[in-house]
Amino acid sequence: MEAKFEHYSFDKRLKSMLKVDFRRMFTMPLLYIILGICFVMPILILVMTTMLGGEPADGIATEAEAAMMFTNTWQAIGSLSGGDMMSMDLTTMCNINMLYFGLAVLVCLFVSEDFKSGYSKNLFTVRAKKGDYVISKTLVCFVGGAIMLLAYFIGAVIGGAIAGLPFDTGEASIVGIVMCMLAKIFLTAVFIGIDLAVSVAAKQRTWLSMVLSLMAGMLLFMMIPMMTPLNSTIVNVIMCLAGGALFSAGLGAVSNVILKKTSLV
Amino acid sequence: MNAKTNAIEIKNLTKNFGQKQALKGLNMTVPIGAIYGFIGENGSGKSTTEKIICGLIHPSGGSVKLYGKEHTNADVRAKIGVLIEAPGCFQNYSVWNNMMLQAANLGIANAEKAVVNALKTVRMEGAATNKYKNCSLGMKQRIGIAMALLGEPTLLVLDEPINGLDADGMRIMREVLTEITQKYQCTVIISSHILGELEKIATHYGIVRGGKMIKEMTAAELEAGCRTYVALQTKDISRTKALLSCKYSRVEEDESGYIRVYDAKEPEEIVTHLYENGILISEIKTAKIGLEEYYIDLMNEKGGR
Repeated sequence: MEAKFEHYSFDKRLKSMLKVDFRRMFTMPLLYIILGICFVMPILILVMTTMLGGEPADGIATEAEAAMMFTNTWQAIGSLSGGDMMSMDLTTMCNINMLYFGLAVLVCLFVSEDFKSGYSKNLFTVRAKKGDYVISKTLVCFVGGAIMLLAYFIGAVIGGAIAGLPFDTGEASIVGIVMCMLAKIFLTAVFIGIDLAVSVAAKQRTWLSMVLSLMAGMLLFMMIPMMTPLNSTIVNVIMCLAGGALFSAGLGAVSNVILKKTSLV
Repeated sequence: MNAKTNAIEIKNLTKNFGQKQALKGLNMTVPIGAIYGFIGENGSGKSTTEKIICGLIHPSGGSVKLYGKEHTNADVRAKIGVLIEAPGCFQNYSVWNNMMLQAANLGIANAEKAVVNALKTVRMEGAATNKYKNCSLGMKQRIGIAMALLGEPTLLVLDEPINGLDADGMRIMREVLTEITQKYQCTVIISSHILGELEKIATHYGIVRGGKMIKEMTAAELEAGCRTYVALQTKDISRTKALLSCKYSRVEEDESGYIRVYDAKEPEEIVTHLYENGILISEIKTAKIGLEEYYIDLMNEKGGR
């Protein structure tokens, strides 16, 4: 009796792995919960802060009150470069950049579920190349992250409209806002690289991967408004793309080594 | 690949978990097409060996070859079906969705047909829409086997597939395993503590203890190696045992109330001996010890039990 083994090329392996991960992600209730939060959060923030602060055109008495108020819809997306991006006011903290923490939750739960359910046994028995897993997870989470950002963007536009906030782009043109969104999407790759490396190291210990990912996210949080201002240009997009590619490739290699060198059960 | 290639060839395998040495130079040879019963006590290294074969943990030393290639070879590994401890399924997914996910993982072209076939093989076609978390233990084990069968594996690694099942579950599982080996013609490794069940399907055996392989044999060799004994029943068991113990070196009473005499040449000499001492035999038969007793004997011979 003789056994013959078909050779599986990289693209065939990656295609099947992506199919698994996309199916997994889009059948995960968590994704829809996170997307729901992403969509509802800007509506709540914009509407509630406007209600608390009265009409935006009423005039604002103090600086403290000003810090508590959104005066423009696009503030929910980002701050202008040159503005006070390091300030800790509501408009700087409660904007789209919070989603990078939501992304950490998605990546950590997505990966740890593979190990907790025992699915990793089925997966890694037939998949000797751990790189397939890392690449696939990075790409799928990147798509997940992009959808989260878009959900927030749509929520912000709707929230702004409900709250009656102006859509005046001011110094940031429409192109700038599009560039800002693209830069933010590419920047997710940096965070996904970190979250993935932490998650494959922590395996079924979800709490550990979450704590480490959120800590790493907090360290890098201030980088986000600087890298992706509301008036972004193509330079910002290229920088975020390069950073995302480098981080996800470098940390992907680290994740690959972790999977190769450690026990998978 | 030459004709002598084995499905699995393990040489001098070692595995350390910190200070603890789980495998101490284990050797193992599984011929292609064999149903290999992998036997050993808890903690003897069965699961560790199986996990190493599947690439889930890394050996500290030694070599593991699958079909003549390194066990890390991606092409060979793509043709392994596995059920280790419990099936790796998502609790909130239906049986069907779990199966489809594994089919996607294996890159099966006609996934739906493959899933239907696998579920049919394990007699689970009616439970496809059930949520996995609502399935019984026996159903879960069968789902695990169905998942392992997707992609028509050349090597099937099953860790304790019949443990925890009731009598009916065990019967179904036995039928399923027998059918699999005939239908898929793959090499199967089954580890189990339920040796009576294993004996009914295995063609080869490997007995492991303390991280070392202490015996490998075929079913024919086991049959030849199993000693015969005379089993009898009398009304006065204690006196019969005392009488026979004077003449024969190993006399034991089994769980069913039979007195077993292991070193009697002929049953007639026992009948005569007991009759002369005024004991009447109500039943007498000759039989061979099974895998379970062989295993216990072997463990006793090696000491430490």
